[in-house]
Amino acid sequence: MTELTTKTNSGYAKSVLKNTFSQISARIGFYWIAAVALLAIFAPFIANSHPYLMKTTDGISSPLLQHLIPADVIIIVIFITVIVLYFLKKNLAFNVLALLTVLVVSTILSFALIKPPQLVVYEKYREMERNNQLEWVVNAPIPYSAKDYLRDYGETGMEQPLADDKRNHWFGTEQSGADVLSRMIHACRIALGIGFVATGIAMLIGVILGGLMGYFSGIVDMLGMRLVEIFEAIPTLFLLLTFVAFFGSSLYLMMVIIGLTTWPGYARFVRAEYLKLRRMDYVQSAIACGLPLRSILFRHMLPNGIAPVLVAASFGVASAILFEATLSFLGLGLVDNPSWGQMLNQAVQSASFYWWMAFFPGGAIFFTVFAYNLMGESLRDAIDPYLKKKT
Amino acid sequence: MAEPLIQVDQLRTYLRSGDKTVKAVDDVSFTIQRGETYCLVGESGSGKSITALSIMRLLPKDITSHPSGAITFQKNAEPGGAIELLETDQEDMRTIRGSRIAMIFQEPMNSLNPVYTIGEQIMEALQIHWPDMSDEQARQKTIAALADVQIPNPEQRVDEYPHRLSGGQRQRVMIAMAMACEPDLLIADEPTTALDVTVQAEILRLMQELQQRKSMSILFITHDFGVVAQIGHKLGVMKHGEIVEQGAVQDVLSNPQHDYTKQLLAALPENLKQNNRAAMLAAFRVKQKANKEEADLINIENLKVYFPIKKGVFRHTVDNVKAVDDVSLSIRQGQILALVGESGCGKTTLGRALLRLEEPTSGVFSYAGNVLSSLSQKQILPYRRDLQFIFQDPMSSLNPRLNIATTLIEPMAVHGIGKNKDERIALAQDVMQQVQLDPEYIWRYPHEFSGGQRQRIGIARSLVLNPKFIVCDEVTSALDVSVQAEILDILLKLRADRELTLLFITHNISVVEYISDEIAVMYKGKIVERGDTDQVTSSPQHEYTQKLLSAVPRLHH
Amino acid sequence: MIPTLLGITLVVFTVMAASPGGLSVQNLVDTQGLEPEARKALEDYYNKRYGLDQPAPVQYLKWLNNISPAGFTFDESDEIDGFSLVKGSDLGTSFIYGRPVTELLKERVPITLLLNLISIPIIYLIAITVGVRAATKRGETFDVGSGFIMLGLWSVPTMLAGVLLMGYFSNDQYWHYFPTSGLSYREAHDMPFMPHWSNGFEPIKLLFSILLGAFLFIMFSAKANRRVRATGMAVLGLVLGAWLASNMAGESGWVTITLIALFLTGIFYVLGDMEYDSFRTLTMGLLGMFLGALVAGLTLEGEFVRGFMLDRIWHLVLPIICFTYGGFAFLSKLSRTSVLENLLSDYARTARAKGVSEKDVLWRHVFRNSLLPLITVSAALLPSLLGGSVIVESIFSIDGMGKLGVEAVKLKDRELVLSITLISGILTLIGYLIADIFYALADPRISYD
Repeated sequence: MTELTTKTNSGYAKSVLKNTFSQISARIGFYWIAAVALLAIFAPFIANSHPYLMKTTDGISSPLLQHLIPADVIIIVIFITVIVLYFLKKNLAFNVLALLTVLVVSTILSFALIKPPQLVVYEKYREMERNNQLEWVVNAPIPYSAKDYLRDYGETGMEQPLADDKRNHWFGTEQSGADVLSRMIHACRIALGIGFVATGIAMLIGVILGGLMGYFSGIVDMLGMRLVEIFEAIPTLFLLLTFVAFFGSSLYLMMVIIGLTTWPGYARFVRAEYLKLRRMDYVQSAIACGLPLRSILFRHMLPNGIAPVLVAASFGVASAILFEATLSFLGLGLVDNPSWGQMLNQAVQSASFYWWMAFFPGGAIFFTVFAYNLMGESLRDAIDPYLKKKT
Repeated sequence: MAEPLIQVDQLRTYLRSGDKTVKAVDDVSFTIQRGETYCLVGESGSGKSITALSIMRLLPKDITSHPSGAITFQKNAEPGGAIELLETDQEDMRTIRGSRIAMIFQEPMNSLNPVYTIGEQIMEALQIHWPDMSDEQARQKTIAALADVQIPNPEQRVDEYPHRLSGGQRQRVMIAMAMACEPDLLIADEPTTALDVTVQAEILRLMQELQQRKSMSILFITHDFGVVAQIGHKLGVMKHGEIVEQGAVQDVLSNPQHDYTKQLLAALPENLKQNNRAAMLAAFRVKQKANKEEADLINIENLKVYFPIKKGVFRHTVDNVKAVDDVSLSIRQGQILALVGESGCGKTTLGRALLRLEEPTSGVFSYAGNVLSSLSQKQILPYRRDLQFIFQDPMSSLNPRLNIATTLIEPMAVHGIGKNKDERIALAQDVMQQVQLDPEYIWRYPHEFSGGQRQRIGIARSLVLNPKFIVCDEVTSALDVSVQAEILDILLKLRADRELTLLFITHNISVVEYISDEIAVMYKGKIVERGDTDQVTSSPQHEYTQKLLSAVPRLHH
Repeated sequence: MIPTLLGITLVVFTVMAASPGGLSVQNLVDTQGLEPEARKALEDYYNKRYGLDQPAPVQYLKWLNNISPAGFTFDESDEIDGFSLVKGSDLGTSFIYGRPVTELLKERVPITLLLNLISIPIIYLIAITVGVRAATKRGETFDVGSGFIMLGLWSVPTMLAGVLLMGYFSNDQYWHYFPTSGLSYREAHDMPFMPHWSNGFEPIKLLFSILLGAFLFIMFSAKANRRVRATGMAVLGLVLGAWLASNMAGESGWVTITLIALFLTGIFYVLGDMEYDSFRTLTMGLLGMFLGALVAGLTLEGEFVRGFMLDRIWHLVLPIICFTYGGFAFLSKLSRTSVLENLLSDYARTARAKGVSEKDVLWRHVFRNSLLPLITVSAALLPSLLGGSVIVESIFSIDGMGKLGVEAVKLKDRELVLSITLISGILTLIGYLIADIFYALADPRISYD
């Protein structure tokens, strides 16, 4: 493909983004998501039972750094890369390539080099503190890990926020005794991760299938539409349930499964757009000039048809998060890893209402979904009038 | 002299859009007498429609303001029966709208409510203004109104839904609806622009007849001077919200005073012909004599392009839409052949088939001796350099996401023109100059250009591969008259400089007479007449050609 | 239609078969705590009985054969015995319950259908009311405000809403106004259908009180000017809020009382302040009726038997709220867009030019055309509602199809899962069909070819 001296899309994409965020609702949504993202990235540094630094008779050590898992490191590396790329201001292809390389390299390196100790005893720091074995210690802002069940305090179970004066649980504790706030922060990763990855997978499948259906019509279209109809006729939740119940509920599996069940919506959009675009004069002209198929599909049609798909994707991320929460709520979600839905599940049990389990995780889900919906709405409003604008 | 039916004095209509105010109508004054047709002419954006909507008070209240002006309307014939339309409240306006002043619009396709029958919609107009009228009476009046506008079988048609009617019939229904209450003033906003020329002729004839019978006044908005010449009594030329010249139609057309009017009239293809054509034609004829033995560049034999109609659960083909039905045609090199016909006759399909944008069902066509109709898409590729296409709609012919440079360079790269990118850019800039655009514009995006400029870029794109044959599909139909003149001249110059052969598809006869050497008339997929343009237009042989030519509204009768 | 159904069941079957563990009776057998040999024997028995020992494709085909009314018949030793055209459908026997699936479905499906059928009209009614108003008063407070609220409502996860509603309104800790589970009390089945009172005057008093309340509030809404309305309602909200708060079963600190009172005050203020006359009068009228009934209820003596119908309704209130709020949020946005587009259309302009009043343009011309996209969307509404009923039924312990589906999937009950998939597929396709018919009725441009 021909290289360009200037970026493509610089006019259109920039002005659409500007329009979207000129609405205050979209900005609020964006700030919230950014906050959640930051929490997700820096989770191990914000809520951790392992102290940052501590000095014992054996010297100064940093248990927190020692106990970082590969995933933590990869995420932070990617974050730094994104910041650097933002300031370098290169074009889209460069950015994507750079990110992918960094991802692959860091994954390999982290898994090879970072090996946190297998056995983790969270209680030992508090015990050491009680036994005055620590000279000084610097703790994380929320000194509880997501899986720290506070065994040293006995069977704690569910407690209201700030119930106990010996330990500060701002949001209370949940069924197994772990701190709710810490679990919520660590659950940010899962929420965002599932949202993006699942939607990404669904978009990929949807765009490819939808594009093929829209461009080629005929048999391809007929078969494709049958497939879409089948997937749409099954209530998504039910299909999800079936998948998860039979295949198990690991995190990555869930992402893939949600992606596999929500692609029909995107396929429909892309197909509709491509059907419209095929009749567009500039596409006809591209065909008349003899441009290769891949250029027509990806350079001429896709950038012009992607707009409604992006709007759908914004709402799709929100619904992916909702799906995961629903599955967890029904008892089919992630078991050990913290998730907002799972905590919500514990709110109403044996006819008691534990309000802090409903408000905080439920509120987190609500605000995140709301934020995505706000951005999606603004994006849709920004795209529509632009399309109708005539010189 | 009797009081004018309607008198517009210093009308100003300002529209608010965001934080900007657009002076859509800026100090417009005119009068219309009873039984008179006043034509308001101008290019797009001149404010003619807004003037009409201001009279009807149909503009949205929250963005409209009238800083000055008065519209005095004689509601009834007694003295003192005049009312001031800008001061009338909405309730009273509603009693006037549809009964004393009626309006018809441009797009008959969308102007009727699709979920009600045409009878119901006409009866509604009657029963709003005469609430005591019974349903039976209203129905009878409706059928009479339909008969008046010459809809056949009005007793059955009255219960039909709009989507079953053709464009021309829908416009007749609109006229019937507007005239049902026998208004004093009919405002017609480009009512025939979207219709075929033969249909337009019938509608215009109908309106004149109705006007005479009911001594109705008409405010006719149009951009077509030919129409004005045919039906107008008085004429006003609008530009940027002002009337720059007005007067009796004959006076203004034969002796325009204002520069703008002169410019507009000069740009009309009929008048262009007088000025430029003689010289060009002479030059061309000289060249032709030298190349007398030139072979046909394009040869079409028995071409058929059928589109199957699939019905039923199993999608089996019940019938075919015969878009191109056994067409044989040949085009000589260096010639401009105009392919003329009304909408749906198949001319666009024929043009597209030549570039294999549509697949021929049967028949053969060849280019410079090479048969193209049976080659696969891959085999056609080398020929795509020589055959190009220019599209009608400037708004959709350029990819909005790519800058002009990319649009122009990509085809060059694919066909191996130019050794490297810089060379290709230089070539692109060269082509831009040939279409009279600043070469630096190639770094811009399509939305930054006007319609006329985009059409020139479309021409530039077709030239980039150095083609020998270009199909021009209604390339000026979406443009204003003055812009159209420029584009036509560019095409003529390019044809001379590069020795191009053009297939010029259009429905506009005056453009054909200006630009083409030969003409082929198409009707329902078949070529009904073919020959030298001057000859065919002066003495048409085929019945359809005669009908077509006589329907064209001319400036000079 | 049939190919789609086949496709659906095939997909679900493949998921089950392809999963690790495949189709098995693990769950049934594991819980019994048996010795290995006994367990194996039991497993074999179940496998044979449910045909799980055969390869997956064969199982699927056999199942297809079972559900189709015409097909092969088998004799006791499982050999093909003949072909019958009137064999009848056999949906099989559930693993978990041991009962025929058809029986289970007959019990459960009507309940889910009930929930859905009640919800759909409510959703459409509210969506259209709000959407039309938002479109006609575009950009004004109602439009922006309702748009925001609707978007917010749509973002509330159903489970959160359900949990909150149950937690606050069906709970001993707060207000125990609503029942915690199920669709009706056991006793209700013995009750007569209609409510009745022992004392003949009671219903008259009740009726009078209700009508008086409605009348007062309607007058207030229609006659009083905006300021008075808004302040009056705000005061009412304050009083009600304080009363509600003090009525809580548990203790109520000052904070809680003020919060609740403020919340109610706010809502009532907005209600009183609204310019949307018809909506406001209607809501206030309903409020009046309700308050009238409340006042009467507090002062009534004598026996009052709730009656089966009222009991049902009482049980349904919370689940229906949960069920509908997401739907009408989405639809109201859609109807707003649709009405807006049509208000700006060419034919609306023609109608105005004819002298039709703006109100008539809206309700006679624009409304019918705006309904068309809503009808199209309704086809997709049914599967999402069926999905939603899964959550609602689980939270409120209502024995419907959704809850059955969750259990079936959790316990890997092959017959149940397939049957429920089949039924939801059929229901969805019926929904599409009905939507198509409505659309063809509404739009004269459509004809069946």
